[in-house]
Amino acid sequence: MNSIFKSIKFRDAGTLIGLILISVVFASLSPTFLTAPNLLNILQQSSINACIALGMTLVIISGGIDLSVGPVAALTAILGAAMMVAGVPIPVAILGALAAGAACGFVNGALIAWGGLQPFIVTLGGLSLYRALALIYTGGQPIFGLPDGFRALTNGTLASVPTPVIIVAVLAVLAWVILNKTPLGEYFMAIGGNPEAARIAGVPVVLTKLAAYMISGFMAAVAAMILIGRLGAAEPTMGTLWELDAIAASAIGGASLMGGRGSIPGTLIGCIILGTLRNGLTLLNVQAFYQLLATGIIIIVAMLIDKFASGAGGGKQG
Amino acid sequence: MQHFLKGALAAGVFALSMGAAHADLAPLNSDSEPDRMDWSELDAKFGPLAAPAAGTKIGGVSKTLTNEYWRSLGQGYQNLADKLGVTLVYQAAANEGDQLGQLSIAEDLINQGFAALLLSPQTDANLIPAVEKAKAAGIPVLNVNDAVIPSAEHYVGNVQKGNGVNVANWFIQNRPDGGKVAVIEGQPGVYAAGQRTAGFTETINASGKFQVVASVPANWSREEAFNAATTILQQYPDLIGFYANNDGMALGVVEAVKAAGKQSQVAVFGTDGISDAYAAIKAGDLTGTVDSFPVLTGEIALEVSLRLLAGQKLPRVVATPQALITKDNIDTYSTQDIAALRAALLKK
Repeated sequence: MNSIFKSIKFRDAGTLIGLILISVVFASLSPTFLTAPNLLNILQQSSINACIALGMTLVIISGGIDLSVGPVAALTAILGAAMMVAGVPIPVAILGALAAGAACGFVNGALIAWGGLQPFIVTLGGLSLYRALALIYTGGQPIFGLPDGFRALTNGTLASVPTPVIIVAVLAVLAWVILNKTPLGEYFMAIGGNPEAARIAGVPVVLTKLAAYMISGFMAAVAAMILIGRLGAAEPTMGTLWELDAIAASAIGGASLMGGRGSIPGTLIGCIILGTLRNGLTLLNVQAFYQLLATGIIIIVAMLIDKFASGAGGGKQG
Repeated sequence: MQHFLKGALAAGVFALSMGAAHADLAPLNSDSEPDRMDWSELDAKFGPLAAPAAGTKIGGVSKTLTNEYWRSLGQGYQNLADKLGVTLVYQAAANEGDQLGQLSIAEDLINQGFAALLLSPQTDANLIPAVEKAKAAGIPVLNVNDAVIPSAEHYVGNVQKGNGVNVANWFIQNRPDGGKVAVIEGQPGVYAAGQRTAGFTETINASGKFQVVASVPANWSREEAFNAATTILQQYPDLIGFYANNDGMALGVVEAVKAAGKQSQVAVFGTDGISDAYAAIKAGDLTGTVDSFPVLTGEIALEVSLRLLAGQKLPRVVATPQALITKDNIDTYSTQDIAALRAALLKK
């Protein structure tokens, strides 16, 4: 156990070194890169992906996957926006949207845990289902006119740090505590690492899976609230391909899709790496196609380093 | 201290007046906004374009470069920028669904000292934070075709409804006996798709002789349009025409019509005027398209931004050219010579 813990920290250091290397390259090529507004910009732009990726990391550690996060975000955004526009008090609308996100996660988790269906297929179904509900409810139209009081929540700054960054930082600390300091975190690791052994050892497998997907749905709803606050509008088409960005960030951060391994700090750094790439390449006026290329290379390099590092570390983890 | 108070007061009054101006601005509907002009009147009403200040930098952000339309628009920006010695940066998201990616690009450009931004948003809402940030930084923003930012102060683009109206009028003139027609729509909820469909359907219904028997979305996809058209042709074997909301879908429809062996019976029209559409019209596969001349549109949009920077008070909407292209006039419009194209359109 202790050696796994150490090797994960070692892995986080590797991700951080990757981020530093990328930043050094951009800083030497663009004078704008290393300015405070631009760095805050990167954090703000990464915050939505980070929010999704935190939930995704917990699901991946528990041996699952959640492909439905983007549409869950779209659906909860629509519900929250519709409530606010209809005059529902802002805190009630936000809580309603977050509850709806957790409920979507509950449906995914129930089908997986009780129904015994494969996570990939269930959440692939959810990907279409939740998107369809959002489109049907709105007829494809965006919902405009969110109250200024709500927008102020996500567009403000605290000590010149944008609020979304602070929200995500708080959630990240919570996720880290859950994963590393609570029985639930041990259960995630256990059912992802060896489900059969976990069941025999008395881990409540069903409840643990439900918890993972509900957290993921909840985090998707938080991301949705941040985004519609920034946009001042909710669109049923938002959140396209968010699941892939979140999986990419988790994987760069050291999560294993086989389950049982992953890191909250690693995922956060993974999100910042993706955000930094996009930002730096835009500053250098490099077209988006090359940004995709760079993202692909980074993911594969991270996986290769994982492979060799775990080989050198002598043996299997989890 | 007094000086400071005066300054603060002036800033406050300025902020208030900005706030009031913002509040007065109704949500933009680029087709029906009354404060508008046609591109052809620019020189007559506002005089020739003055030379821009040395070192002027303009930033452009469009949907995606996988679509020829947006590459051509960027070419138009670049043409005029080169001619006038303006520095241009043109960026786009990796695909047409990457709304956050496009927002990040737009925000990243704002920090870099551009005099004006030309934005072609993926959806009506996804670039709103960038527009607000630019406004706060005092950078003028032009919404260039075709999603419409409700709070946009300046819009340059074609009249979306006019695309459908042009095609409907062709049917009314060339198929005097009327008949059954179908519409292949773009993505539901997208302004351009709705307006193009509405322009076609309203105009052709008003003639009384035509029936729109099907109007289905194919989400801008050639393959989905092919499948939809195949089904519609089976259901209505006596159909006489299709109107597709863009050329990619129209070319999918053309394949379906060919597969059904109905080329002589069914007329197919697209929208946009991409080069594949021109080739298909020359080959006799596609009946026509409504070209909105993206290169020329790019030149006009950049010109409008430079006029705004020079302090001219232009209307909120500047409408860009469009024309129905069929085999009868294709030689006039398929020219690569933008100056000749301008002349032909001005004569129209």
